Amino acid sequence: MALSEAEIARYARQLLLPGLGEMGQERLRSSRVKVWGAGPLAGPALVYLAEAGVGAVIVEEAGAVAPADRAGWLYGPSDEGRPRLDLALESVDAANRFVYAEPEGRGPGPTAGLICLESADATRAAARAAFEARLPHVVAEVDGEGGAVTVVPVGGPCFECSFRPGSGRAGVAAGYAAASSLGALELAMLLACLTPEPRGRRIDLLRGHPSARATVRQPGCSCASGRSP
Amino acid sequence: MSRLDLRPYVCPLTWVKTRIALERLEPGERLEVLLAEGQPLDDLPRTAEEEGHRVVSRSPAPADGAGAWSVVLEKGSPRDAAF
Repeated sequence: MALSEAEIARYARQLLLPGLGEMGQERLRSSRVKVWGAGPLAGPALVYLAEAGVGAVIVEEAGAVAPADRAGWLYGPSDEGRPRLDLALESVDAANRFVYAEPEGRGPGPTAGLICLESADATRAAARAAFEARLPHVVAEVDGEGGAVTVVPVGGPCFECSFRPGSGRAGVAAGYAAASSLGALELAMLLACLTPEPRGRRIDLLRGHPSARATVRQPGCSCASGRSP
Repeated sequence: MSRLDLRPYVCPLTWVKTRIALERLEPGERLEVLLAEGQPLDDLPRTAEEEGHRVVSRSPAPADGAGAWSVVLEKGSPRDAAF
């Protein structure tokens, strides 16, 4: 379905981006993105995905706002103790009235995923779940003031194939913002088909400098047969 | 030939709507856009040429009202995305 007059006005600047156009915007609108997490690493991504005009943002999050969440974009001091999920959905709603904000389990399933969890173990588990569900997905990780973003298109090497443990440093505001916003951008490009072909890649962010490389399937990884490792 | 009346709009919507209409055409097909005198009349043809389309004509269109201009564009070959 073509974009409405209101949608054209809403996305006017974005529609002028090279290669996006109406078709790319329609592809974004037809996507339902599940975001794992609503903590400081997810905050900027949730806002960017909503602003970009994906069809729905589905949030999976069970925690409450903690003092450390202030490093993200979504929560203020008065939010401590409140459910992250409710506040994250409110933020998506407020960012763009054309985007549905939904908790996990309501409405149709996702068509893509963005993993923004603070724990490495939880991140790897979510990446396995996204792979098994055959969702194109992006994984954002924070490491101090940097981090990494891994793009996993359907059929591409899985997250485990390029996984490298970080330094273990806690995230800081700049790292959350960089990894989270880059993760949302990479996913939007994947969904809008802005790359010549879906490609798996990992972008490492070190002291503000991105370094991208194509991901390669590790010999023997079960992802070659479509099964998560 | 498709026709688009853009007189009620200002930049960037004039070009956004033109570009969307051009996307729906095949290379070589033409689109007539109706513009009001002023900045869009200067900017839109230049932007179209920058993006690889051809400006076939640009002329007053008094039959459509005072100050109306007709710009006929011919769609060029699509360019690759910059990503």
